[in-house]
Amino acid sequence: MSRPSIVIVGSGAGGSVAAWELARSGHPVLVLEKGRNLLPGLGGRGPVGTLFSNDEVKAQRFFEDQDPILEPRTLRTVPEARRGVARSFIGDVNDLPTVVGGGTIHWDAKVPRLWQQDFKGLSLLGPIPGANVADWPLAYEDLEPFYEEVEAQLGVQGDLSQMPSFTLAQAPRRRQFEMPPNPPMYAGRRLAEAAQQLGYHPYPYPMAVNSRPRDGRPACNSCGFCSGFGCPIHARGGAAISFLHEAIRAGAQLQSRCFVHRIDLGRGGRRAVGVSYLDEAGAEHRVRADFVVLAASAIETARLLLLSAGPHHRDGLGNRSGMVGRNLMFHYFSVGAGVFAERAHSWRGPATTFTLDDFVGPVYGSPARAAGLPYLKGGCCEVGGGTLLLEEANLYAGAGLRGAALTGALRSLALRDHITGIQLNAEDMPQLSNRVDLDPRIRDFRGFPVPRITHSQHRFELAAAAYFAPLIQQICQTAAPTAETQLIGRALAGAAGGHAGSYHTAHIMGTARMGDDPRSSVADPFGRLHEVPNVVLADASVFVSSAGFNPTLTIMALALRAAREIGR
Amino acid sequence: MQRVSTRRELMAGGALAALALAPPARVRALIEEVARGRLAGGGGRFLSAVELGTLRAATARLLPGPPEDPGPGALQVHAAEAIDLMLGALDLDPPLIHAGGPFSGRAGGSRDDFAHFVPLDAQAQLGWRIRLEGSRGLPEREFAGPVVGRQEVYRSGLARLDRLSRRQTGRGFAQAPGDVQDRLLGSRDAIVARFVQAAVADGLQALCGPPEYGGNHDLAGWRGLGWRGDAEPDGYTPAQVSEPDPPTGIVADVRPAATRTSSGPGTSTAPPAATAVPLDSAFADPARRRVLAQVAPLLLRGRRGRALGTGVRTGAP
Repeated sequence: MSRPSIVIVGSGAGGSVAAWELARSGHPVLVLEKGRNLLPGLGGRGPVGTLFSNDEVKAQRFFEDQDPILEPRTLRTVPEARRGVARSFIGDVNDLPTVVGGGTIHWDAKVPRLWQQDFKGLSLLGPIPGANVADWPLAYEDLEPFYEEVEAQLGVQGDLSQMPSFTLAQAPRRRQFEMPPNPPMYAGRRLAEAAQQLGYHPYPYPMAVNSRPRDGRPACNSCGFCSGFGCPIHARGGAAISFLHEAIRAGAQLQSRCFVHRIDLGRGGRRAVGVSYLDEAGAEHRVRADFVVLAASAIETARLLLLSAGPHHRDGLGNRSGMVGRNLMFHYFSVGAGVFAERAHSWRGPATTFTLDDFVGPVYGSPARAAGLPYLKGGCCEVGGGTLLLEEANLYAGAGLRGAALTGALRSLALRDHITGIQLNAEDMPQLSNRVDLDPRIRDFRGFPVPRITHSQHRFELAAAAYFAPLIQQICQTAAPTAETQLIGRALAGAAGGHAGSYHTAHIMGTARMGDDPRSSVADPFGRLHEVPNVVLADASVFVSSAGFNPTLTIMALALRAAREIGR
Repeated sequence: MQRVSTRRELMAGGALAALALAPPARVRALIEEVARGRLAGGGGRFLSAVELGTLRAATARLLPGPPEDPGPGALQVHAAEAIDLMLGALDLDPPLIHAGGPFSGRAGGSRDDFAHFVPLDAQAQLGWRIRLEGSRGLPEREFAGPVVGRQEVYRSGLARLDRLSRRQTGRGFAQAPGDVQDRLLGSRDAIVARFVQAAVADGLQALCGPPEYGGNHDLAGWRGLGWRGDAEPDGYTPAQVSEPDPPTGIVADVRPAATRTSSGPGTSTAPPAATAVPLDSAFADPARRRVLAQVAPLLLRGRRGRALGTGVRTGAP
């Protein structure tokens, strides 16, 4: 075989798409994944099996999630870092599943596209004081064909005719979705009706979930164990089931439980020659390849670049700009909640079935001026989510309930039946001080330095939450006009916890941004390291802005674009 | 035939019979041996008889059933026995940590995959050894600092409760009056507090989780709480998704597994119960309304990634 060989680090959204593209075009492809494979038969001739199930206990026991005892991360705030605090927390810091298929193994498969303005924040909207706002080195139009191709392979449901014109103006689509929307979830439908009444524009959430049988996989039957759970019937598309399966059948090799700890360079440090990794038994291996594709997710990709420091790259591979690890973004979530008198079972369905884009922004005027900002931005909303039984129980326990107060609440309050919510996935600003570096002391079980996250919110996110959260709560109050909704609304308004989750959003972006200028970016517009162009980043590390949308579809589209460029 | 993996099991007498059973019946038999005091000394698979008695009493106060609460509690679902099984999970092969998939047979399908526990590979095994046994000063377990294991959290907490009770009442914790037990469980003592936190979390898994882990005995937890549990592969109809549930809900969907499959932990002759209270009284109680205000700030901290929740942080500061 004469085509260049490829080693891919990580089998999640980016790695699987890259493997799919490159294996089908005849490249020898090796995918190294540090997690286990929990999909028996993946890549085989028969149907793909699964060990996932509607099991809340297993989901809490690190079945697919990274075990923070073995592979902890550390955390500190920016003010703590300035005071010289090395870390203030050790454990799970926005961990993603560590498993074949990566984060998409238990995503809820929401696949909005980014908007045109998200790629050109600096030139269209202007700078934000204290933030590192920049344009992406590509435009929506460059990515659009790759969005289409990825969507076609995933199988996406939605309804073009219900999408608001302002969304389609910013993210134009050439055709109707392949599949119609799932049956609308009751609570989400009520919230959508209320939103419409208030003048907003809710519509069926585009998602990579089968609403009818497709490619031998069944239609979703709304079991309710969606986000945070592997799909037991493969109705939901994802990295492994939609891409890696075919990649392996086309010749790609997958090796699980292999931890890549260094990118190996040739003499002079201008080209990678392969990677070094440890297998499950801890044995050291080296594999040679013409290209190294990094898709370990933003935090781990930055860690690997830093671990690969050497004589020609003293501060980390490809880090002459000093940008590796910086501009880490997590999104900023706010919630509104409503309590229906009727049994609205808001957990039953594919997490949520509606979204709305009315709070994406930008919003100019007094709300922004009051915070000393030129504009505010929010993001898309997940409309109508809920809580399962054990989750509900943990809420009560977390609030300190014990004894009959706890079991009584589970039996008669039964929030799982009555409560629903809207979550705003708001854009957060890239900041140089929000970063990943190597913890100077804490090691993982293999003995390698763990990633240390230094992170504080910019006032941009806080001001946006203060502005948008009451609007979200108003929708909830309109849909479920009960005294309980009022009560919970007051409690949310008074609690900073109503706008939390920076470390638990599962949306991890930045750390190795792409750009045209090697002095201010790590990778070029195709994800190639400026300094070592046969190392290609194919995950959310290259994001220049976080935008207010679920990032996975964009990760996949960027990975496909980068992989195709390798093959040219 | 399951492999007997440790000396502890060989010593456990009756356990040998249970290990010979097919997986669906196995966990049930292991739990019942403990629940009925059949193991040597009346103890658990990990805990001693005294420890198990203290744990039963403590979980019964933390998660009470009748008479304090008309719904199911820790005793009804065998929470203490399930916790004991979890603490000794690595003594069995495969370890009883992750139930299998994709289906249980309770919502269609013809077999209980849940009962076929997923083997841990070496890496996952190490994580669970540290989590359950603690780091014990071993360098290969203390790469990120010392870890107090779950076994130690329970052992020390149960011993501390018993000692405090004897000092204050002259009787062991299990024999102390309910109000004394409540006071001791609410103690600021750090050993007690970390035990209570663990026992509530693990007890709730036994109350609300699948029965394959040894709790939710005879589905008493799900029946009493009006919860169907796992729903695949049958799922829900479009009407069940898009319209509200009737006031009695879907409790009747929880059919005894015996009516559909030959065996399984869900096998039961008990009729489905519908104990959901009338809806207009659900929020009438002012104490319950206060709970709403208390949980509001936590709505982002459920299970990661769900619309109303983004994850419980684990690990030590």
